[in-house]
This record gives sequence, C-alpha cells and structure tokens, in this order.
Amino acid sequence: MRDRSFVPSRILIYLSVSLIAVAYLAPLVVVVLNSLRTNEEIAQGSMIGWPQHLAWSNYAKAWSGFCVAETCAGIRPYMLNSALVTIPATIFSTLLGAVAGYAVSLWRFRGDNWIYGIVTLGLFLPQQMRLLPWTIVLRDTGLINTLTGLVLIHTIQGLSFTTLFCRNYYIAIPHELIRAARIDGAGFFRIFWRIILPLSAPILIVTVIWQFTHIWNEFLYGVTFTTGQQQPVTAALIALSAAIADIPQHGVQSAAVIIAALPTLLIYLLGGRYFVRGLTAGAVK
Amino acid sequence: MPITTTRRRLLAGSAAALALPAFARAQGAVKPRLTAISQWSAGSDGAAITALGKKFEEKGGVWQHSPVPGFTTEMMNKLRAQIIAGDPPACSQLKGPEIAAWSKIAPTVDLDAVVAAAGYEKVVAPDLAKLHKPGGKWIALPLQIYSTNMLFLSRRAMDKAKADKVPVTWADFNDLAEKMKASGVTFPVANGGTRADDGQKFEASLAGISPTAYRAAIMNLDKKALEGPEIKAAFAQVRKITNWMDPNVGAQPYATNLKRFVDGDMGMMIMGGWAQGVLRNAGFKFDDFMIAPGPSDNGKPVFLLNADAFIFWQRKEPDLQAGQALMAQLVMDPAIQTMYSQITGSIPVRTDVDLSGEGWSDGQRRTAAALKDAVANNQAVLSLAHNMAQENGLTAAMIDVFTEYVKNKTITPDQAVTRLAEAVEGAR
Repeated sequence: MRDRSFVPSRILIYLSVSLIAVAYLAPLVVVVLNSLRTNEEIAQGSMIGWPQHLAWSNYAKAWSGFCVAETCAGIRPYMLNSALVTIPATIFSTLLGAVAGYAVSLWRFRGDNWIYGIVTLGLFLPQQMRLLPWTIVLRDTGLINTLTGLVLIHTIQGLSFTTLFCRNYYIAIPHELIRAARIDGAGFFRIFWRIILPLSAPILIVTVIWQFTHIWNEFLYGVTFTTGQQQPVTAALIALSAAIADIPQHGVQSAAVIIAALPTLLIYLLGGRYFVRGLTAGAVK
Repeated sequence: MPITTTRRRLLAGSAAALALPAFARAQGAVKPRLTAISQWSAGSDGAAITALGKKFEEKGGVWQHSPVPGFTTEMMNKLRAQIIAGDPPACSQLKGPEIAAWSKIAPTVDLDAVVAAAGYEKVVAPDLAKLHKPGGKWIALPLQIYSTNMLFLSRRAMDKAKADKVPVTWADFNDLAEKMKASGVTFPVANGGTRADDGQKFEASLAGISPTAYRAAIMNLDKKALEGPEIKAAFAQVRKITNWMDPNVGAQPYATNLKRFVDGDMGMMIMGGWAQGVLRNAGFKFDDFMIAPGPSDNGKPVFLLNADAFIFWQRKEPDLQAGQALMAQLVMDPAIQTMYSQITGSIPVRTDVDLSGEGWSDGQRRTAAALKDAVANNQAVLSLAHNMAQENGLTAAMIDVFTEYVKNKTITPDQAVTRLAEAVEGAR
C-alpha cells in the first residue's frame, strides 16, 4: 500500500530523471540517426536530422569497407586486435589485483601499507608521463610493436586500480575467517582460492567492467606501441575522423563508433547491476 | 660463402658514403625498401599516399607504410618511441620548424647530392627550402603545398548582394561584407570554431595588411614588430570578421557550415585550398562558389604557405638506404607531385609544373599562380596556424591568444597586442 502523499514527489522525481536521461541520450540519438544517413545528406543538410532513406551501407562500409591507408578492411581487423589485447589484459590484471589486494588486506606484513600506497600511486600518474619509460621497457624486452607488449602495459597499469578496489573490498572480511582457515592448515593460495575468491564476485565484476572499458577505449599506447595492421580499434576510429582535408564522413563514422562500442556495452549489460553494488561495497570502509 | 661477404662489404662501403653514387650502386644491388610513418590514413590523404606507394612498388621497391591515425602529437609520440627503440623509420612525415627541432634528436640523411642532381633547389620557394635544410643541408623534402588564406565566395551570397567583383584588399572585403549583410546574408563570413580556424583569421589579416610585418613579427618574433601598428590593425580586422561570423559554432570544423555557405546564408570563407576538394566531395558544384587569393592591401597576392614534407632518418641497412634514394627521387619528380596534388587538391612544390592541362581545377591554377606572384614579390610567408612558422610550443601560445580574441569580443585590439607579446615572451 503506497501513501498517497508520495505521488507528487514521485512525479517530480520521474520527471527530472527523464529530463536528465533525455539530455544524456541526445548525443547517442544523433549518432544513431547519422549512422543511417548518407554523407551527402549530412553535408548538404544539417548534422541533426531524420534519415531520408535508411543508409545501411554505412554499417557495411564501417565493418569491412573503409580504408586506413593501403588497407581497406573496415573496422573488423582492428576489433580483433583490441579483443586480443583487452581480454587477456583484463583477466591478468584482475587476477593479479585480487591476489595483491588479498595480500595487503588480510596478510599483514611489515610495510604492507607502503606497498599498497606505492601501487595505487600509479592511478595518479598521467599517461603521457609513463610513455617514455614504457618505450624503454618495450625496447629492452623486444616487445615494441607487438600486441603482447600492450597486454603487458595494460596488465601492469591495471594493477593500481584492481589492487585498490580488491583491497578495499577484502578488508571488510573478518580476520577470524582467515585465522580459522590457517589453524585448519590452509596456506596463502588455498585460502585465496577456497575462501576469498568465492566471496569476490561483486568486486571482480566491477574490476572486469572497469578494466575492459578502459583498455578497449585506450588510444595513446595503442597507437604508439603498435604499427600498421596491429593497431587497436580506437586508432582505426581516429583514422576515420581525423582527415583535415576531407569532408567529415559522419555517416560511416557514426556507424563505426556504434560497432566499436558494442563490446563494452555488452559487458555493462551483463554485469551492470553488480557494478554499483560492488563499488559501494568496496567504499564502506 | 665468400661471394656474399664481398657483396655485403661492397654494400656496407657504399652505404657509409651516403652520397648519390653510393645510392645508385646500392640500388642496383638490393631491392629498395622503405619504412615510412605518416598521419595520412583516410580520405584523399590516404588515397594519395597509397598512390605514391604504388609508384614506389612499380620502380621495384618494397613499400612499408604504417599510418599513425590521429593528429601530429600521436605521430610524434610514435616517432619518438621508434627513435628511442633504435628503429627510426627510413622516412617520416614532418613539417615546418619541427624538422629542425627533431633533426637534433636523431641523425638524419644528408640529401644534398640527390637534391643537387635533380636541380630541385631552383624550383622551390626560398622560405620553404630553408625549413628543409636546417644547418645548411637538405634532410627533408617538401611534397605538396597548400595556401591557408584562399578566399572562397558563395555565388548565391554574391547574387544577393548584387556584387560581381572579387575583393582584392581588406577594404574591398569589408565593403562587400557590409553589402552582403545589408542585402540579407545572415553571416557574411563563414567560419568554423577550431583553433586552426581562429589562427587562420589572424594570419590572413596580418599577412594581407603587411607581409613584411608578418615576416618580422610572426616568423622572426621581432619584439618591435610584435608590438607594431600592423599587429593592432590585424587584430582590428579580425574583430570586424568576428562580428560577421556565426558565434554559435562551438568547436565544429568549418566543413559543418558548407551548406549554409553555398546557400548564401554565409558569404565569404577564408580557408585553405583544401576546402575546394571538400566542397566537391560534399556534392557541390564549381558554379556554387568562386576562389581567389586572400585579401592583400598592396594588391599583389600574399601566400601563406603550408607544406607537407618527409624527413629521412639515417639507417644502416643497404635496402633501406636504396629505398630512401628512390623515395627522394620520387618526391622531387614533377610527375609524382602532379599525381599527388591532383588527388589531394593541393599544388605541387615545384614552381615549374604546368597546371594548364587536364586534371587541375581552376582553384589550383589560381593558387599556383598566386604562389608564383607571391614568391616573385617576396610575399610568400609561412603559416602559423598550420605549424609552419614556429615550433609547437610557441605556436600553441600564440594561437591561445587568437582563439580567446575571436571568442571574447570584449578584448580590444590594444589589449590583444599586449597579450600576444606576453605570450611570445612567456613561451620563448
């Protein structure tokens, strides 16, 4: 039974939430509409408008048609490159972050807070500042211009975030649990595997969503440390949009942007309801 | 195998010489190969470099081009990474004073012999040549030229104003703008809102008022010239222009407004020659617009140069060296420059290419004629807005001043002059 006095405030809330939603979704609507308009239509009319005929060819061109220099294969090969970097880097950084967070929160040792602090310091270093050091590392390991090099970068950089979040989540776990397990003879990894990991679903989903989105959308390292056909999808998108001496290809650009956003969108749809829950769970302490 | 060793030794020897005869010998013995990076990946830029690559392959070379999508910063990051990794590209796209700056970071190839053999220096605008030979030796080669101050006139706006004369001086330009405004053209000046756009407004104004002052103040950063009366006059002209522009453009590129320009809702556009190709690609006709050199108060064309170039990095591999020699020859070749410019809408670097034939547009012919005149009258200067006049840091500091001035109409020309001088002082 609902109290009637709630009704006006409810209406107000829904109204303002709807307004905010409209404001947030407006750019997306423009992109979706433009993805179905031909370039001539956009250039000769306005950026904003209804499609006169549905130009599905934009999607075909975006997926497998448009040219990046000598190669005319659309966005498809670059999507694969991004996946080959993003998936392993997300898994490695999440797992390593979980172990690190578990170690600094539940296995107190001398200097643990220092180590935790130094690892999370990585969050505050701007990307550009780390560019040169990474260049030297990749040169010395021979991984420059390889996708493996990018996986290495994103795994290590991701550690700052994943460690921070897992540590804040695990610190709420009662120490008695760990002590009891140790008395029963369980070691570091056994406790992690049997006790901690089963409790971690919400926070792991948060880190996976976060890492996946960030690595998928990353551009600077992707474009600096790869070459030609190995470039990630963000580089292909920029290639499509940065031509100064040409009419902007808004139609194909919009279609390409939508295709490129699908994987991250999918991850959100699958894990989204855990996202806020996991974030706030981690923030309690 | 003694034979291979001898051949290798021969190649290494010829490589060390790094002169034309050595190039030729190396070329005869190995398959020339070229690793190149550029930011040209899409549209007509991408098509043009692809065509150049095809020519390179036709001559028996192996073409390995890796485009770095994005803007100059991304490409420079990539170049820096490759240089630090000890693997610089055999040649890379670079332009303006950055050529001199980067040549201090890693060893470059001395191209003097190849350039001399082609007789290239005689056919390149002197200010442009200087940029490509910092320290007196050719290390980079310009590929194509744009003018950043071409004047595009909307045919419908001209009809509305019942005008048929192309403005020559800034006074003509201002008269025409007033006339257009009075006869219902909403915005006599068509514009975009990017930084380069704002910078072009200023450089076109100053160079049109006095190319001498432009050279002294913007290119040579002469303190007295920077505070001179021409700078103030240029800011005053920019203020007039901004009052005729649509203020609601945000940071949109100028191309967003082309439809309004063609429709006669906007009248005149000061833009690089590349806008012609953009107008054509958008489906507009040559009848929809006219192209002329930007306003110049002394009546002779002023040419604000923007040129793309390749810099050549030293490599030890004989096949890369042979590739560099082949590439240098191709870039200087009038036929190749013709092919390239016809794809992108630019004009050739060589001033001796005949543009009367088929494949050239009227706008390109006018641009080339303007360059010839401007060079003859010493009125060809380097564009600031497109990174030809100063290094990146200084350019950015100066364009900050122009952008703010264009967007904030409460700033007076006097204040702007002081700000510009301070910005230059601060960035030096």
